[in-house]
Amino acid sequence: MVERTLANLPVRALFRPKDAFEALAGSDPSPANVLLRYSVWLLILPPLFSWIGASIFGWRLGATEPLYLSQLTLVRISVGYFLALLFGFVSTALISQWMAKTYGASESLGRHFAMVTIVGSPLALASVAHLVPDVFFNVLVLIPTMIWSMYLLYSGIAVALETVPERGMLMASSLVGWLLVAAVSLLGLSMGLWVMGIGPLLGV
Amino acid sequence: MSGMSLHKKLEEHSGLLIFGILAVSAVGGLVQILPILFQESLETPVGATAPYSAVALTGRDIYIREGCSVCHTQQIRPLIAEVERYGPYSRSGEFVYDRPFLWGSKRTGPDLHRIGGKYSDIWHREHLLNPRSVVPDSIMPGYPWLAETPAADVGDIQKKMRVLQSLGHPYSDASIEEAESELEGLTEMDALIVYLQQLGTAMPQGELP
Amino acid sequence: MSNDNNAQYHDDVVLRLIQFSIFWAIVAMAAGVYLSAELIWPTIDFSQPWLSFGRLRPLHTNGIIFGFGVSALMATAFYSVQRTCHVPLFGHRLAWFCCYGWQLVVLLGGLSLLAGWTSSKEYAELEWPFDIAIAVLWISFGVVFFGTLAIRKIRPIYISNWFYGALIIVIAMLHIVNNLALPVTLDKSYSLYAGAQDAVVQWWYGHNAVGFLLTGGFLGMVYYFLPKQANRPIWSYRLSIVSFWAFTYTYIWAGPHHLHYSAIPEWVQSLGMVMSIILLAPSWATMINGIMTVSGAWQKLRTDPALKFIVLALAFYGLATFEGPMMAIRSVNVVSHFTDWTIGHVHSGALGWNAMITYGTFYFLIPRMAGRELYSTRLANIHFWLALAGTMLYIMAMWAAGVSQGLLWLSIDETGELGFSFTDIMSSMAPYYGLRLIAGLIFLTGTILMAWNLYMTMRGNKPVRVTPPAVDPMYEVKA
Repeated sequence: MVERTLANLPVRALFRPKDAFEALAGSDPSPANVLLRYSVWLLILPPLFSWIGASIFGWRLGATEPLYLSQLTLVRISVGYFLALLFGFVSTALISQWMAKTYGASESLGRHFAMVTIVGSPLALASVAHLVPDVFFNVLVLIPTMIWSMYLLYSGIAVALETVPERGMLMASSLVGWLLVAAVSLLGLSMGLWVMGIGPLLGV
Repeated sequence: MSGMSLHKKLEEHSGLLIFGILAVSAVGGLVQILPILFQESLETPVGATAPYSAVALTGRDIYIREGCSVCHTQQIRPLIAEVERYGPYSRSGEFVYDRPFLWGSKRTGPDLHRIGGKYSDIWHREHLLNPRSVVPDSIMPGYPWLAETPAADVGDIQKKMRVLQSLGHPYSDASIEEAESELEGLTEMDALIVYLQQLGTAMPQGELP
Repeated sequence: MSNDNNAQYHDDVVLRLIQFSIFWAIVAMAAGVYLSAELIWPTIDFSQPWLSFGRLRPLHTNGIIFGFGVSALMATAFYSVQRTCHVPLFGHRLAWFCCYGWQLVVLLGGLSLLAGWTSSKEYAELEWPFDIAIAVLWISFGVVFFGTLAIRKIRPIYISNWFYGALIIVIAMLHIVNNLALPVTLDKSYSLYAGAQDAVVQWWYGHNAVGFLLTGGFLGMVYYFLPKQANRPIWSYRLSIVSFWAFTYTYIWAGPHHLHYSAIPEWVQSLGMVMSIILLAPSWATMINGIMTVSGAWQKLRTDPALKFIVLALAFYGLATFEGPMMAIRSVNVVSHFTDWTIGHVHSGALGWNAMITYGTFYFLIPRMAGRELYSTRLANIHFWLALAGTMLYIMAMWAAGVSQGLLWLSIDETGELGFSFTDIMSSMAPYYGLRLIAGLIFLTGTILMAWNLYMTMRGNKPVRVTPPAVDPMYEVKA
């Protein structure tokens, strides 16, 4: 059962998301299993790509000269990035489970982990764009991917968590609210750290 | 219990409600703004800060009319990079004759607080006529019409100075008398350039970070 | 309560205000789209003073806030105050005066901005003749609104009216104090305040115009229309009362976060920052109240496209009211200030929250006033996705642009030299401005679809006549 539910999760999330959501319905995978076998490997991709990209090419924030950072700074940023993603992933799944009762959805934690993994996998894979650390290029790749992920969330949540579509829509919107706040927090946190001297050299 | 009964009163009397809202919302403003309005240091000019000359005042009103402050700030923050890029950070005493203040909120173009003296008048003229002739990547619009209008058309300069005089700007009556003749023969662009060239120059720059 | 029982609600003026509101939305958003194009192709003002960026931008902001926003607020305030008081509007003619007078101010005021009449104070650009006209109209708005409250038949004043009431009172106070000036000529005046003092007064106004108009006023809309649409009472009435007072008290303090690191005294900046962070609590209390109210009414979503907009509006409200306090923290603000991130933040509020909540309300109101179903639910659904995609694209493009600007401006190398020239940073923003232009076009397209949809719904019909229902004796005002 678990095998059938989770086999090739990221691949199916990409090509047959509907299948993946339907397979989730009725299942109760173990959260640790989902996290360790699938989610973590996807979460490690963005920091890995950004580390490689920034080491080779330097950050291109748009202006002509790339911004090179020391290896120590890069490793710090990548580890921070991974931890932030992991925190974001786990907290989103937990919040999703916390909301489940309100929206009459399944409360299986493993299923929430798997659902967030499916929704996030296009983004994780599209983070290959980090290899070319040009901000605009990344924006160009990641925004459409983000809209695709949002579509997956809205269309999949009711199926995967077995609730009526209308309640699924409400739950998806609440999660979008949370994700927007999480995204902007990540921005704010980075700014705070950079201003404190962790990251690029700023004259503040 | 008393909270709830007080609330019941508010909930049922529109007059009390109006009063309640007014009182509660006024507190913040009173505590923050009143001391500021009576803080003398904010009204004391520093360095050579003086009321704008007739020509500079006209230039400033053109700056306001064309909405320059929509894209240009006049507020250098006390940050290393900012002081390096624009010059000594802005002091409140430099703005005491600014009605209204023109600090701005968005830097689509660079800060202009210490633009005075950085470029020649000819550069400014070229730049205002067609920004891309001197800054190839500029996204600033051109202002060719300023070169075609006499500065005296901007408004009644004597009346303006008299209004400012009544607000406490120390203009002498003689300077008001001479105002019109100072504008004679100048275009709006000339006046604007005079305003830009004196921006931020009142501070003794050598001594400041 | 017997003889005027047959008096019907005055809904004609509500409908007219909705029409004007949609008209200004399209005009002002189109101006915004044009402005975003000017930042990519700076010569498309064709050397026409009135098309120049500096003059067109105030038209965009004032058109949205005062044309679209205030017309929508007047419409919904007039609609809901009658229904929560069980009486027709007090001063029916005065209400019409407000309606047309306001449109005249927006129209002539907009033209005056293009002509270069401006005080340059943000969102208070209109010169003194218009300021006086606005004050008169605003007081008339207050007379109609509070007059209706005074003749109400229901004893308790419902919560939505508190927010509308705060809108009227606080905006009047802010408007009058901030615009005090000595006139020189019809098109020119000098502010009564100078320099740093003027800055503090202006941002007390600027921030609270956002607070009590774009936040508080629209919360009034939420508190009436959301329970109406969901067909169930507000989740926690007590929470809404507590958050109302906390909101009204706290918001007014937060203005100085617009002046971090400026030449105003430190204590004012710090106070502004602390109060901005505290403000998150009452803001989110309302969001939770709203979400919990809708969540119990999911069955309605199947038939009501309007509710979708409201749900999404609450999500973006959550974002904007979180992002604001975050950007008020000095160490975030040092990077974000003066950048396009601020522009993105404003639009997550203006597009995601104000526009969406208004669209949801209009989709609810027009079919009821027309007495028939919405012309096309499918179009409304398409509009929903256009609005969502446009808003997301807009704010993400501006996040990326703003963070890049902030970092590059401040970036120095090991020797302490500046890393990048201003011009290089500025010209590298063009791609983001391109994305923003597309985002704006998508959002505008959605708005035009809605205008068409609502026009087809209403076409040829007059607002359905509604008579106030009988009042429950328990809540009746005693004679």
